[in-house]
This record gives sequence, structure tokens and C-alpha cells, in this order.
Amino acid sequence: MKDVEIDDVLTKSARVPYELNPAMLQRVADAIQPSFRPVRPLPPTWVMVVGLLLICATVSVAGAARAGFFGFAKMNLQDRLLVFPELALLACVAAGEFVHAMVPGSLRRISPGALLGFGSAALLAVFAFLFRDYQTDHFFSAGVVCLLTGVLHAIPAALLGWFLIRRGFAVNAVSAGLAAGVLGGLAGVGVLELHCPNFQAAHVLLWHTSVVPLSGAAGALVGWTLRFCAGSSARDCADSR
Amino acid sequence: MDPDSNLETLMARYQQGDFGAAAELIRHVSPQLHRFFLAQALSRADAEDLLQETWLRIHKVRHTYRPGESALAWFYAIARHVRVDHYRKSVRTAAGERQLEAMSKEGASVPGETDHGDGLIALLAPLSESQREVIAMLKVAGMSLEEVARATSSSVGSVKQKVHRAYKKLRETMSAAGFRKGQSGGLS
Repeated sequence: MKDVEIDDVLTKSARVPYELNPAMLQRVADAIQPSFRPVRPLPPTWVMVVGLLLICATVSVAGAARAGFFGFAKMNLQDRLLVFPELALLACVAAGEFVHAMVPGSLRRISPGALLGFGSAALLAVFAFLFRDYQTDHFFSAGVVCLLTGVLHAIPAALLGWFLIRRGFAVNAVSAGLAAGVLGGLAGVGVLELHCPNFQAAHVLLWHTSVVPLSGAAGALVGWTLRFCAGSSARDCADSR
Repeated sequence: MDPDSNLETLMARYQQGDFGAAAELIRHVSPQLHRFFLAQALSRADAEDLLQETWLRIHKVRHTYRPGESALAWFYAIARHVRVDHYRKSVRTAAGERQLEAMSKEGASVPGETDHGDGLIALLAPLSESQREVIAMLKVAGMSLEEVARATSSSVGSVKQKVHRAYKKLRETMSAAGFRKGQSGGLS
């Protein structure tokens, strides 16, 4: 059989009139009527994306202001022109995906997993190109401090981002959590790039970049937990009826 | 009035608090959503439960629809979420009651318990869940590839690939069953 013939068979089968019990449709209408009132639609995507970017920028600058802009001061012009625009670009993509994950029926341009992989790879590429000091002084002690600093700034950025678009509805809580985590992680990397004066390649490549996958994984885990808890509570409700 | 071209207008009026628009949407969209659930190898009773749950969810998150965007993609994204939720809950319940084995047997009896005399559903029975979902959206709801991609949170390329695989499977099944050109009934 040709595709056209299969198409024809499917179309003819789909066009068969299909009626539902009007009483059931009336029950549905009756169920929603008591809570019927006008609602305000979500703002356009760009408004929410700009809001998320402002949150990320604020968290990054505020975090670095508290700890000192030592990293920014030590960077040369080329470093600054490559690192910060790249972070801004990745944050734009992550913010867009987070918004799309919170609006049903949005067209996804990149999956959250690909966003995480692409974001981490892009950071690694730029860091590997810019930082050529291959010493590894205080590799673990300094690294863990940077990782913790990054993640501790990623958490408020992701939470504030979620608060901003809390009126949305995530059809896939894990994807939404992952996108929020990646966005928060990028804010955390922003803090580290502004603050950390340790330009050893291994330090930056491992400990700074790790903030993004770690925050993304944490966000996905939170999303999975929320979905699991929502499922469990719905089941408990059903059981108690 | 062509209801398909006015779903977006009805949805905008629904958001503004017009109960008549909501009732019209329920009347127009429910049959295809019900058929979408049936195509996922669900029983008629389950499909009716999911349909009601979908409308309650739609009502709760109606503010997330943005005027001017595809209303069908938005409806199906929520319907799909409700179905996936239902699937997860049923798997968890079955695991808790140690009835997974019985459930898989039940799931395998698609042409028996879930045969509603609907030719399309019988045609889609040999396909995988994701393929059935995509074909049901394209053929029952008449959605475009982009709308299906929006509803399934995937890319247009991924939807095309699923359609291609579904058609390949359908071609094999129909040829094996000696399906005649112009026939629109089930395979059985």
C-alpha cells in the first residue's frame, strides 16, 4: 500500500461521525460553572524571558558584589567579551525554554537535556580556549568552595524565576525543573566568573562548569519529586473517597 | 460558522468569562478528545473519566492559553498531560497492589476490551503509544505537524519521524491483513 492510500483509509475512518452522551457534556459544563470568572492571560513570552534574565543578572551581580569582583578585574578585554556575552546568550535560551515549559502548547526548539548538554559544552569550549594555566594548586579545596558558591546562588535564581512565572502550568514538571535549574546554574556561573580570580584551566573547566549540570539535575529532581507528590496526594484522595 | 477556525476566538471569550463560549468548546472539542483517549487503548469508562478530568484541568489553567496561538495544540497538550498522569498513577497503584502482571495482560487485550466498534481505533491498535498519539492528533483533530509538535512538547522533525514509522507499521499490518483500497473499517 502507498502512503496516500493509508492516508485515505485513516482520513475516512476519522471522519466517521462521533457523538458523546450530552448528559456527560452537561456534567462537565456544570462542574466548571461554579468557579467561572474572567482570567488574565499570561504575558507574552518575551516579557517573561526579560524578567528571568533580570533576575539572573541581579543574582549574579549581587552575589559578586558581596564577595568582590576579583575575577572581572583580573580578566582582560577578550575574556570579558567572550565569557559574559556567552553566559547572556545561554541564559536567553534557557529562559526561553523555561517559559515554554511553563506554557502548554508551546513550540520547543531544544529539549531540556540538549539544553543542558549544549550549555555545558559551550561553556567548556570557551573556558578551554581562554584559560591556559594548567597548574592545579588547591584543586579540591578551592574547587569545592567555588562549586558551593555557584550552586548556592543558582538556588535563589531558580526559585525567583519559578516565582516570576508561577502562574504557568508545567505539562512536564521534570523538563520545567531542569530548565529552571540550568538557568539558575548559569546565574551561579555568572557569580563565579565575576568573583573568582583563579584562572587555572582545570579549576574553571571542572568546578565552574559543573554548577550548570548540578543545578539542572537538582531542578529535574525537584520537578520529579513534585510530580510524584502530586500523584501520591491525588491517589490518596481517590482512595479516601 | 466553522468551529475549527473559531476555537481561538471561543477560547479568548472563555478567558473573558463567557460561559456560552466554554459550553461551545466543550461540545465541539470533547468528541475528539474522547476519541484521542480511546486511541490510547483506554476503556470507554476511563476515557470518559479522563475527559472530565481534562476539562477540569483546562478550566483551572485557562489563563495559560495565549490569544492568537493554536487552541487545539493547547487543549491536546493538557489532555496528553492528564493521560500521562493517569498512566503513572495506574502503574503506581498496580505496583502497590502487585497486580502488574494482570495489568500487562489487560493492556495486551487492546482489540478485546477496548474495541469500541471504532474503525480508526482498530486501525491504530498495532502502533506504539506515541505513534497512536501522533496519528490521532493528525487525523482525528486535523492538527498540523507544528501543532502536534507543540502538543507533544517535541520538535517537528521528531513528529515526522513518528508518522513515518507509524505509516511503515500500518503498511505492513494492512498488507498482511489484505486491506483493500477504499476500505475504512478496522483490521479485524
